[in-house]
Amino acid sequence: MRLLRRFGLTERLLSVLLLAALVDFAANSFLFERASNFQLRRDDAERIVESLIIASRALERTQTSERGAVAEALSTKRFSLYWSPPTGRPAGSIRLSHLRAQVIEIEPELAGADLELHLAGLPAGGNIAGSVRLSDGSVLQFRTHVRSAWKLTAGRLAGLILPTLLLATFAWLFLRASLKPLRSLVRATRQFGSGTPQPVPESGPEEMRELIRALNTMQERVHQSLVDRTNTMLAIGHDLKTPLARMRLRIDDNSVSPAVRQGLTRDVEEMRLLIESIQAYVESGGNDIPAERIDIAVMAETLVDTAADEGAEARYHGESSVEIIARPVSIRRALSNLIENAIHYGGNVDVAVRQRGAWIEITVEDNGPGIPEDRIQDVFQPFVRLDTSRARNTAGMGLGVPIAHRSVRLEGGTLELANRPQGGLRATIRLPVAPTQPS
Amino acid sequence: MSAPKILLVEDDRPLRTLTARALRQSGFTVLTAATGAEMWVTLRDETIDLVVLDIMLPGTSGFDLFRRLRRESDVPVIFISARGSEEDRVLGLELGADDYLAKPFSTRELAARVSAVLRRGRGGDPTTWSDAAQPAPDCIRFDGWTVSTARRELRSPSGAMVDLTGAEFDLLATFLGHPQRVLGRERLIELSRTRLTDSSDRSIDVLVSRLRRKLQAGGSDSPIVTVRGVGYMFKAEVVRS
Repeated sequence: MRLLRRFGLTERLLSVLLLAALVDFAANSFLFERASNFQLRRDDAERIVESLIIASRALERTQTSERGAVAEALSTKRFSLYWSPPTGRPAGSIRLSHLRAQVIEIEPELAGADLELHLAGLPAGGNIAGSVRLSDGSVLQFRTHVRSAWKLTAGRLAGLILPTLLLATFAWLFLRASLKPLRSLVRATRQFGSGTPQPVPESGPEEMRELIRALNTMQERVHQSLVDRTNTMLAIGHDLKTPLARMRLRIDDNSVSPAVRQGLTRDVEEMRLLIESIQAYVESGGNDIPAERIDIAVMAETLVDTAADEGAEARYHGESSVEIIARPVSIRRALSNLIENAIHYGGNVDVAVRQRGAWIEITVEDNGPGIPEDRIQDVFQPFVRLDTSRARNTAGMGLGVPIAHRSVRLEGGTLELANRPQGGLRATIRLPVAPTQPS
Repeated sequence: MSAPKILLVEDDRPLRTLTARALRQSGFTVLTAATGAEMWVTLRDETIDLVVLDIMLPGTSGFDLFRRLRRESDVPVIFISARGSEEDRVLGLELGADDYLAKPFSTRELAARVSAVLRRGRGGDPTTWSDAAQPAPDCIRFDGWTVSTARRELRSPSGAMVDLTGAEFDLLATFLGHPQRVLGRERLIELSRTRLTDSSDRSIDVLVSRLRRKLQAGGSDSPIVTVRGVGYMFKAEVVRS
């Protein structure tokens, strides 16, 4: 098996064919040998000799034009005869040399008639066939059924079927073994790109191993380039913060007029928000902070209170305490993004946290214009913003919903956006309920 | 009393200059260091009241430097991070930083944080729990609830994290500093002044009712009771560890 493993597809295929050819060859040799050594019982042989002598003598005395009909007339069920003019004579491929010797020994006259004996073709249904030449060179063929020849026929059948059977079996085994690793390859390809690379174990023929190796390398490379990209974005964000910090402190200089200071402060703040939303998005894929028990209802309520304190029309409904297991930072960011979006696009926000069976349902609703139905899915794409006019005060980069979506998915939950029938948008987060704490 | 001496550790030279200037304008004496090595030299030679540490110094990882600083000295530390992510904030506070500031920050913010930490650290204010003589208890318990002062976190009896706004946390801290004592609205505003900018009777009532609601969330009675015509009282027993 170990040796087989080193063979490639071509080698494996070739070895199967070679094996089949070898078996075929062996079967034929064996058959030829058996046929050549084949002899009949004395009485059977004598019956053939007798019939043949009688028929040939009868035909010698018959007109050429009548011979065909006479030969037919002389035929019996067990011994059929055909006459043909002195052109070629059919000769079988499997000669029965011992049988010929046996026949000639009984009747030496037949040696002079150039007796030929062979195993008849399978479709002809006969087993022993042969021919003799008449004195004018025309040919008398015969075919007879000898019961004891069935073993030869069976051998021939086996000789034909065995290599085919062998070929089919080996081809099947070989293909199965060769293609088995394909299944794990397909599985790996399906999961490709989601999370850390899962190397596929190498198995199968060399070509398959090469493919698996290539896929594993590709996985590693793609993962690495994603990690590099993430790190680059984080590094850019990080490095931009320092000049931004300098700018922010320079603005505080007394020489800057209050109007300019106010404008620049807003600009710096907007840049900070942009950078932080990119950092948050890039980091929301995987998170080092472990999940812990949090009160999601209080969290939502606190965010609503904070928004209301800042002057927004924000209200909280629903339960006052609901505990879940989640990463507090990312889930807080998710809620906060949705609340900010509602206030920004809808002008108000109504938040509710409710328990529905095994799920916690958090709804964030506004009375704004909603989102055109055909664009709802677009909002889940990063960097997509529905309001094309940059004039509106939008601090985000179209990352609010994608960040929320990733954070919620990280906790095994779902995020849905839908237009409410009475107008406005409803965002629904569903999260699994925390198992009750054993006390 | 002379101006508090601040050691600023920042690797970016222009930012170091600007930050130092901002601190000086706010009335502090400022020494600067560009690297961790310089920081150690200054700490050995001078009496420093507070360190402002940029977490992303080249050479040593900011957090490693910070851990060592915390091990060898109990000088108050405010750390500055460019990542600005909550993860950094939580980690920094957990490591024992007294406060956290994300880039970019304004002169006013910086001065306010430095003053607040100094005030707490010096123990001049009896309302705060972190007296200099008695190291700040990291964990305060009442009625099964737990308050972590370092992380500014409140946990319910079942161990769930319960979000509080900055003002709510300060109010709770004030109550925890004066258990079983009736506090009038005026007094509460005065004591919680670090965060309460909009100080009015009405806003303190709103704040108290929110905090009370959150402390009831577990199904238990709220430990904050209203004393009609006077103010509020925190009736639960407070255990510090």
